[in-house]
Amino acid sequence: MSAGTGEKLRTLGVAYLNARPLWESLKDDPRVALDLARPSALARALAENEADVGLLPVAAAATIGELRLLRNMAIGARGKVRSVAIVAERPLHELDTIALDLSSRTSVVLGRLLLARRKLTPHLFSTDPAQAIASVKGRTGALVIGDAALDVETRFEYRLDLAEDWFEWTGLPFVFAAWFARPDAVDAEHEDIFRIAKQKGLSRVDAIAAEHGARSGLDPASLRAYLTESIRYDLGDEEMVGLERFWTEAANARLLPRTTARFDEPKRSPTRPSLDTILGRAADGERLSAADGERLLREGSFFELGLAADAVRRRKHPDGVVTYIVDRNVNYTNVCTTSCKFCAFYRPVGHPEGYVLSREVLGQKLQEVVDAGGVQILLQGGLNPDLPIGWYEDLFRWIKKEYGLGLHALSPEEILHLARLEKISVKEVLEKLHAAGLDSVPGGGAEILVDRVRRKIAKMKCTSEEWLGVMRVAHQMGLRSSATMMYGTVDTLEDRIQHLVKIRELQDETSGFTAFFCWDYQFEKGTHLAPGENGTHLYLRTQAVARLMLDNVDHVGASWVTQGPAVGQVALRFGADDFGSVMFEENVVSSAGTTFGINAGKIEGRIRQAGFRAVRRNVRYEWLNEPG
Amino acid sequence: MSESSKLASIREKITRGERLGFDDGIALFLEPDLLAVGQLANEVREKRHGDRTYFNRNMRIEVTNVCVASCLFCSFAKLEEHMPGAHTMKLEEAWHELEKRMDDPGGPPTEIHVVNGLHPGLPFSYYEELLRGFKRIDPKIHLKCFTAVEIHFFAQHYGMTYVEVLEKLRAAGLESLPGGGAEIFDEGVRRKISHDKATADEYLEVHRVAHRMGMRTNATMLYGHIETFAHRVDHILRLRDMQDETKGLQAFIPLAFHPDGNGMKNLPAPTAVDDLRTIAVSRLLLDNVDHIKAYWVSLTPDVAQIALRFGADDIDGTIVHETIYKAAGTRSPGALGYEELVRLIREAGRIPIERDTLYNVVRELPRAAVPEAALKPIDRERVRPRALPILQGGIQGATQGKEIPS
Repeated sequence: MSAGTGEKLRTLGVAYLNARPLWESLKDDPRVALDLARPSALARALAENEADVGLLPVAAAATIGELRLLRNMAIGARGKVRSVAIVAERPLHELDTIALDLSSRTSVVLGRLLLARRKLTPHLFSTDPAQAIASVKGRTGALVIGDAALDVETRFEYRLDLAEDWFEWTGLPFVFAAWFARPDAVDAEHEDIFRIAKQKGLSRVDAIAAEHGARSGLDPASLRAYLTESIRYDLGDEEMVGLERFWTEAANARLLPRTTARFDEPKRSPTRPSLDTILGRAADGERLSAADGERLLREGSFFELGLAADAVRRRKHPDGVVTYIVDRNVNYTNVCTTSCKFCAFYRPVGHPEGYVLSREVLGQKLQEVVDAGGVQILLQGGLNPDLPIGWYEDLFRWIKKEYGLGLHALSPEEILHLARLEKISVKEVLEKLHAAGLDSVPGGGAEILVDRVRRKIAKMKCTSEEWLGVMRVAHQMGLRSSATMMYGTVDTLEDRIQHLVKIRELQDETSGFTAFFCWDYQFEKGTHLAPGENGTHLYLRTQAVARLMLDNVDHVGASWVTQGPAVGQVALRFGADDFGSVMFEENVVSSAGTTFGINAGKIEGRIRQAGFRAVRRNVRYEWLNEPG
Repeated sequence: MSESSKLASIREKITRGERLGFDDGIALFLEPDLLAVGQLANEVREKRHGDRTYFNRNMRIEVTNVCVASCLFCSFAKLEEHMPGAHTMKLEEAWHELEKRMDDPGGPPTEIHVVNGLHPGLPFSYYEELLRGFKRIDPKIHLKCFTAVEIHFFAQHYGMTYVEVLEKLRAAGLESLPGGGAEIFDEGVRRKISHDKATADEYLEVHRVAHRMGMRTNATMLYGHIETFAHRVDHILRLRDMQDETKGLQAFIPLAFHPDGNGMKNLPAPTAVDDLRTIAVSRLLLDNVDHIKAYWVSLTPDVAQIALRFGADDIDGTIVHETIYKAAGTRSPGALGYEELVRLIREAGRIPIERDTLYNVVRELPRAAVPEAALKPIDRERVRPRALPILQGGIQGATQGKEIPS
């Protein structure tokens, strides 16, 4: 992708008005393949190597980590910016809730810093831009950005311009976004292309303002003033100091990974942190970038990863307690339409071995759970087109009424399937199921949340965004869920880290994930996919890195069902604080050849042998007895 | 990640090259931070061997499970010939086991490892003939046969000295002794779990005699039953003392007690954290023994793989036909193929070295390279273990992948 290869530089801009001068004249450059994307999609594309250069918000740049910053081009403001503000009917200190427009994580991080500086702790919730403005009333304010912010510039009595407030605090300009490139993607010649494009763009501000005014209905003169007076497109020494200051403040507040701006190749940069530094930061609870995570997974030594993960586990759970749950995995049907290559459990529609469990069989299983002191069932199945949502609602109500068990049921894939089948929204599906007794959503089917991987191993399955979207809706409704990762197929180490970052970012929004579990692909008879990297050693390393990356997820569980109870026990020293469930059956993994059975007494014995106290939990990780 | 002061002083001793003592051994067993102990053992292991990790192509034969001893931990031995399950191979049967292996795709075994019950009714010539027969089939094969307990039994039963027994067997082809039968040396424990076979002193004396005759041997320790940490440390240090004298031990092999079907079936088996710690402490205490073996049959391949990071540098061999741990309920498969062993070692980020019994290098395999998965459909009905095509040109192919991080 370097200039010499003759390939076009894959470049992503943002459609926002203030970004236009930077990318507009790249459209016609034969050396550049320009696309526009939302900031979140742009960040994803850069992280997953689908783009070489992007006009990236600086928070996303810190999350990705090792990127190269192009010189002297940015979108910033020295003082008032006008397009990023908290608006309200009351003064800031009287607000108890602020709606966040999540389309700009950078503004959200800045907003959090400015609130924290004032020692204000309003409840923050995420929503879309229109909803954010609509929710402003009384003690509820909103953080608004872009056209939405310009549109309501005079509507609300109270308005905190975030860049202005930043300037008052630090005396420094604020940089919102800049051109960031993947390592080894750009050279000096490329930088010139962008520099010239910026000059051309700035000479066209009048036209850009007029065009945008015509399209948006905003006043062109006001827009012109915005572009020429409020926004600064330079990235000089002062802006760099402002940018570094923001990154430092955000890292100190544990909102962003610690990072440094680099104009040179990040992998050869003298400011690149050592592995020890990264491990030390992680053990101290700092947030790691994707680049940090990749280095740990690639280069971190077995024991150093384990010790750092153990330190994080100890800090999060200083009581030395390891939890487990008594439950049962019931696979209500094996009929499925997705044909995942790694699955030996499913049968296609009409197959003689296909089944749907009867109430009688189910009832027997559930009674056994109750008799064994179980508190929930994990109910999952294939995507069976013969089962309408009513079937699930009836089933859930019946289970709740007859057995009173917790319902940890239906992974996102099954929920999406019901939405499609019933032609209703995910939200409606979840509301119906919630009303019928659903307590929490299992995190199965996440596999690797990178679509390139998903298309290869499970092309019928939902996209990463869809999976995360179901979880977002579930969390917003107050449902909790677990998160999982199955690696070791066609995924690369970078993919695994992206997966963890995506979980972490959704968790930032919703705080709905209770726990994270990972395992390697269980290759056996009946699966249709050759194994990639796996093994016990890699499992422990991967779990440790997950514990270090997922700073905002409370619990990490050892997947003894796939790794065996012996390795599960060792995993308690590699960051896990939960031993998962004592299960009666687990059809999906066991049909791929891995079968382990164990009872509660043996689990407790293993937990104690590993140096912990054991306690039973429910699906919300609340203790059900005294640890011992 | 701060270290306890006891562990810090042990670390200093190791750095200074100072020998660890009994108290250090106890402290290592009691140290709450398992990973810190493992890391220390790993440093010692890497100083000695780097990433080199040994395995061999071996086969186990247990020609008889008839045994006059009544060890509590044993699920293998049957007391008398006529009892159900009792079995003694005809010599031809035993030889045939080797003949079957001569065309193994990974090459024939380089070692036969024979361990038996203490059979009261066989002539001594049975054992001599057994060895001669193996050598007739493959003159190059190394015969690592009969534990010190068996040698002691032969001496008593057939009225010979240890030297005489060993000389006769050596004349028949015997080249080294396996390490079984050590159990726990402490007299009190030994009286309870195996009162009617060679004592600790007798076990050690057989090894001394063998070493003085120029034979190499291994040694074991059966842990995780009624013994204490002090008994384990004592056991290891007795071996270290003997090794100072003779330098004849090649490898130390901690063996986990498995409770199924034996006289101690009410005891829980030791768990993985104990297995790993015992390996690590063994590595740290035994400064005069080259190799610490993670015997995968006892540990399971998964835990054995982790043990390669906790001080072990050897994972034993392809085995086939292990019946002693199988009788005691191990989860491990009966055999691992050559490719599976190589993969186990590589997945741990180590370099696989195929060795012979005496640790001469037979073949050094390249490090690394579990290739990125190739997406290809696999025959639904065919059961295929996780394996690399090592012997079909896979070695060259394997180096093209990327390294497993260490």
